[in-house]
This record gives sequence, C-alpha cells and structure tokens, in this order.
Amino acid sequence: MSRLHDLNFFVKLAFAFAVMAVAWLVPGWRFGVPFAVLCVLVLWAIGVPGLHGYVKGALLLTAMVMASWLVNLFFQGVSLRDALPVAAAMAARLIATTAAFYFVMETSSPGSILAAASAARLPPIATLVLSLTFGIIPMLRDDFERIADAQRARGMEVDDVALPTKLRFALARGVPLLVQAIRMAHAISFSLAIYGFDLKRNRTTWRNVGLMVEPRFPQKDTNNET
Amino acid sequence: MLNIANLNLGFGGPGQVVAEATCSVADGQRLLICGAAGSGKTTFLNAAAGLIPRLLAIPYFSGDVTLRGRPVSTIARDELFGTVGFVSQNVEDQLWDLSVEDAIAFPMENRGIDRQKVRARLKELIDDLRLAPLLGRRVLTLSGGERRMVAIAAALASNPALLVLDEPTTGLDPEARERLSRTLREAAASVSALLISEQDPASLRSVVDTVVLLKDRRLSAPYRRDDVLPLQRPWREAGILPPNRTRSQRKPVDPGVLLLEVSGLTTRLARPDGKPVLRDVGFQIRAGEAVALIGRNGAGKTTLFKSILGLARIASGSIALDGADANGWTAARRARKIAYVPQNMRHILFNMTVTGEVVFSITASTATTAEKAVADLAATMLARYGLSELAQANPFALSARQLALLGLACADAAGAPVAIVDEPLLARDVEGRRMLDIFLSSMLDSGRAVMLISHDLELVDDVATRLVILDDGGIAFDGAVMDGWKSPAFAALGWAAPYATPRLGGVA
Repeated sequence: MSRLHDLNFFVKLAFAFAVMAVAWLVPGWRFGVPFAVLCVLVLWAIGVPGLHGYVKGALLLTAMVMASWLVNLFFQGVSLRDALPVAAAMAARLIATTAAFYFVMETSSPGSILAAASAARLPPIATLVLSLTFGIIPMLRDDFERIADAQRARGMEVDDVALPTKLRFALARGVPLLVQAIRMAHAISFSLAIYGFDLKRNRTTWRNVGLMVEPRFPQKDTNNET
Repeated sequence: MLNIANLNLGFGGPGQVVAEATCSVADGQRLLICGAAGSGKTTFLNAAAGLIPRLLAIPYFSGDVTLRGRPVSTIARDELFGTVGFVSQNVEDQLWDLSVEDAIAFPMENRGIDRQKVRARLKELIDDLRLAPLLGRRVLTLSGGERRMVAIAAALASNPALLVLDEPTTGLDPEARERLSRTLREAAASVSALLISEQDPASLRSVVDTVVLLKDRRLSAPYRRDDVLPLQRPWREAGILPPNRTRSQRKPVDPGVLLLEVSGLTTRLARPDGKPVLRDVGFQIRAGEAVALIGRNGAGKTTLFKSILGLARIASGSIALDGADANGWTAARRARKIAYVPQNMRHILFNMTVTGEVVFSITASTATTAEKAVADLAATMLARYGLSELAQANPFALSARQLALLGLACADAAGAPVAIVDEPLLARDVEGRRMLDIFLSSMLDSGRAVMLISHDLELVDDVATRLVILDDGGIAFDGAVMDGWKSPAFAALGWAAPYATPRLGGVA
C-alpha cells in the first residue's frame, strides 16, 4: 500500500479535496461519523507515518469542536439531545478533512512536490509555494521534537511530569522553535540563491513523473561499489 | 580567475575581521587558506565567493573582488553563482528538507537543464562520491559528514569554474576525506580554480598547490605547498597545529570506579537491509578515562550515544550509570549522569543567554537562579572557557568556536560523571586544543570521564587513554590506543594510522 505514497502530488491533492467535499456533503452524523472513522482507518491501512500523533491530535480536535458547538448551541436554547448530533457531524467533517490532507502532507516530500510541479510546468513561484506550504509543517514538527530531545539531553524532565508541567515545557519550546524557523527560512532562501532558483525560469526535474512520482534514483543506475 | 585587492571586512565591533587582504587565484590554481578558528576564514571566503555583500549584509566592506576581470558586484546573481560553487562550513545553512538526489540535482533543475542530462550528471556524482547508500534519504537525517559530501556534490553539479569550500573535511572520516581529495583532483578537468579554507592543512595536501595563512586579520604571502608543509614556525605563529608535528607524550592512567557500563545493546533502529544499526554492543567507561570512539561515517556512533542517553529506543541490552541500572530511567534522568556536547551546539540550545545555558546545565530546570553558589559556578565556568564577555549574549549569535566552548562550559558545569563530546572541531588549532585540554583535565582530575567521538585520529592519539572502534554494527576493538592502531579492526577501516608515517608522505 505504500505505493500510494508515491502518487503524484496533484492526484493526492485532488483526492483530498474530493474527500473533503464528500465529508461536508454527507447528511448528518449517521453518515459523517462512519465516514470520518473510515478515513482514519484508511490512513492506518496504507501505513501513513506518524499516525499515532495524528490520532492524538484528532481526538483533541474532536473534543474541542464538540465542546465549542455544544456550548454555542446551548446558549441558543438548543437541548443537549438535539445539539449532540450537530456537534458530532461537525467534528466528523473536520476529522475526515484533516485526515485527507494529513495523508497528502505526510506522504509528499518537498522534493516530490517540486518534481510534480516542475513536470507540470507550473510557474516557479507556484512550485515553491506549494512545496513549502506542504513541506514546512513536517519540518517544523521535526524541529519541535528535536528541541524536546535537546531538553531531555540537557536533563530537563519533560516526560515524567504532570500534564500542566508538560504543557508548560511544550510552550517553552516556542522561542527556540521560532529561532529555528527563522534559520530554516534563511537556509532555504540561501540555497535558492546559490543554487540558481529563478522566478523567470521554469524548473526541470530528475524524476520520472506521471500518475506516480519516482521516489528515488534507481540503485541499478549507479556503480554500487561501496 | 579571482582577484582580491585591499579587502577590509568588519562586523561593526572594534577592529576588522579581515584587513587589507590581497590575493589572487589563477586558472588552474588550488589555493588553501589556513587559519585558526575565529581568524576570519569564513568571512573572507564569503566575500571571495560573492556572498558578501550580495546575500549576506556586513556593516563594513571595502576593497575590490573581481571574477574574470569583472567586479562581482556587477555580475548578475545567476551568472555569479553559476560560475562559483560554494559549500559553507555549516552545511545546514544551505540544505533543507530534500532527499539526497533532490539536493544534488537542485542546482541543475533550477537552471532548467534537460532531465536526461540531470540524471546522467546525478549518476556521475553519486558514483564518484560513492553516495549510492544514501539514496532516498532525507539530507537532514544524515550524519554531519554525509551531509557535507552531499553539499559538495551539489556544488560540483553545475560544473562551476571556481569552487569555494569552507572547511570541507569537517566531520569526514579519513576514507571520506580521501574520496573527497580524489574527486577534487578529478574535478580539475571542469573546475578551473579551487579556493579552500581549512584548519588542518594536511587533510587536503594532495589537492592544493598554494597555501596562504590568515593571522591577525591579515593574509600572508602565498607559500608553495611543499615549502610550507614541513615547517613548524609559520603554522604556530598563525595559531595552527603544524601538520608535521610529532606524537605527544602519553600520560599513564589508572582508571577508577565504573561510571558507565553498556551490555548487549541492540537498537530498534535498523538499516535498509533490516539489520539493527547496533548489535550486541558492550563496553565500560571508568573514572579518569578519556575513551575515544571512532568509526566510519554512518557507522552508528550517533545512534550509540542516543541509545545511551535514552533518545533512541533499544531492542535489548542494559545500561548502567554510576553503578545503577538506568534502563528504566527517563532521558532527562540519564542526562544528569551524562553531559552531551554535540558537534553542532545549536542543536541543543534553547535558552536566551549564554549564562542562562550554563545555569540550566547546573540546575537542569531553569535558566535563572537566585542561588549564589549556582551563579558563581556559572561565572567560573564562563571564565574558564573564555566566555565571560559573552555572558549576556544570545547563544544563537555566537560563532562556531564560541558555541563549541559554550558546550564544554555547560558539560563541565553540569558535573555529570561522564561527558560525551562529539567531534570537538575547535581542537584543530592551538588555542582550541588548549581549551579542550583544560576541559579534559577538569573532567578527569575530578574523577569523571570523557567519551570522545572523532575522526581526527591525531587528536585521538594525543588525548585518548583508550580506543573503541565501532564497525559493522558492533565493537570491533576496545583497548589501548597504540594497540588499536595495529589491530585488524583498524586495518579493516583502511585508514592510515596517525603519526605512523611522516604525515606529509602523501604529498605528490
């Protein structure tokens, strides 16, 4: 199933929009909730990386969306019994939508997005914006984890503590994460400058691009002497 | 090819970084700039490559830099960086989250080169630099040495006329250095001129033909390589360890109590063939020991210390720290027994002042303190490593050398029984070696121990009391340093032993 990860970025994107449309068009929670569960199960079945973290986030999102809708509807005079299906339907739509775009984001490296956009002869600015938009979030998440590891490696107890302390330490990662984000932006702009990225010139790609995007350079093409 | 006349560079502080620098690189010439850490090599190279002031603003810049007779400031950016290939000392500054093949092909793709030509050049570079085992991996997950080879391949990809490399051997194992030397020699057919900076002049001796020393902000007159390499005085005066130095006296050691014991460690992290990165690894470290760990790039050295620190999960095995079973400990609890100094300190900094970082190392919970004893200890450590004047500076604003010193100050201040020091690059010049010696003395004399991970075999020979060789996922040798150089495990690496032959014997 991991072959699905190598689908052309634009095919994945179209698929994600289609899933989102279905999620928002299906009537009520009776269809919405099973559809959302199905979306998450599909992520598991096709081996999307980092699913454990996604599920935790999705549960948090569900709780927050349901709570906010229940409170909102309560103040509008709607009974809990009537409000619950509305809140559940809304949460289900968001879960299905985020699951679809999580698949796109987690299985599309900046390189594969650059390749798909370059092969489609998109303007360089569109190529760059797409690859950074979908590539930057995993990069920042990795940096967030790396900073947490740095805190651990320096003796800061971020694991064996109460949840409020854990949240406080997570917030404390904001400043170094900001510094790292600025450094990352500098590295990207520096590499674009010295490696000849030009907004007036269309890029090419080394990859074979069609319905699928070639994930790596074939070993058989190289002298594997190492 | 490149002419630099009366170049002055400064960051707005008292004094300039580079003063009245004049030099030229002719077609066919391979020029090596040598200087101590912090001597201004990087700033000079950035100006020579046209990065300063084109991409990197600097408060003070005067003088002329011309490329093929034209001032670099008048050359269109695309033409300039199509002519000049550049690899930064800190390769993270020019790499982002691309795969190895994407990073190498990036300059060619950006210039709209036809796919078949890009693939052919990609294959050529992957073969020449033997990067095939890295294909498909994200560059940011590679070891420091592997990343550098990828950045060098990317710089070579577009066949630049002038190649500027800032400390290209940093983090490379001896075999990778030799591979790089061979590639640079072979690139002579397409690359007209080379400008390289290094602290270790011997590492690229077969590549360069001319040497210039950077001392007290000024460039020396050019030396012919074969004339200057055997000398002692010019190198010492420039603050660099002479390439032709002799082996230092080895101090006898009497190891004390057991501080770290690793037994039967097998990692969960596996290689593409399914084998664990580390299998059944075991060794001990005792008080008073400086144990050097060596191995090829990608051998699993990083995975080993991450496993010890609890940052990488293990499948089996045990880790005992200071006499206690640490398997059930959190990473933070282990870190109070093991101080870690990475190659790039930026990876583990997160406080806003230099003092804050040292205080955090002592308290392991906060960067500020009202306790006089903690504040005094932090001040003592900053003074010991020459950082007092930077006490309130932001750590992210420090130079690579200052960051390395901050790493030593933090590790020393933490008081942990064992410190793991990963490739202490500052030890490649006289002052940096003095600082490392201070750190080692402070640790070992107080009944602590150091594990040194390095590809600098002369450094290992100079300071280690014991040698451990990591190869093929396991400990291939563990014993006395001198025995290690003669062992089959070391022979299997295919590296030249330090001081075994005259260090300049390879000069062609």
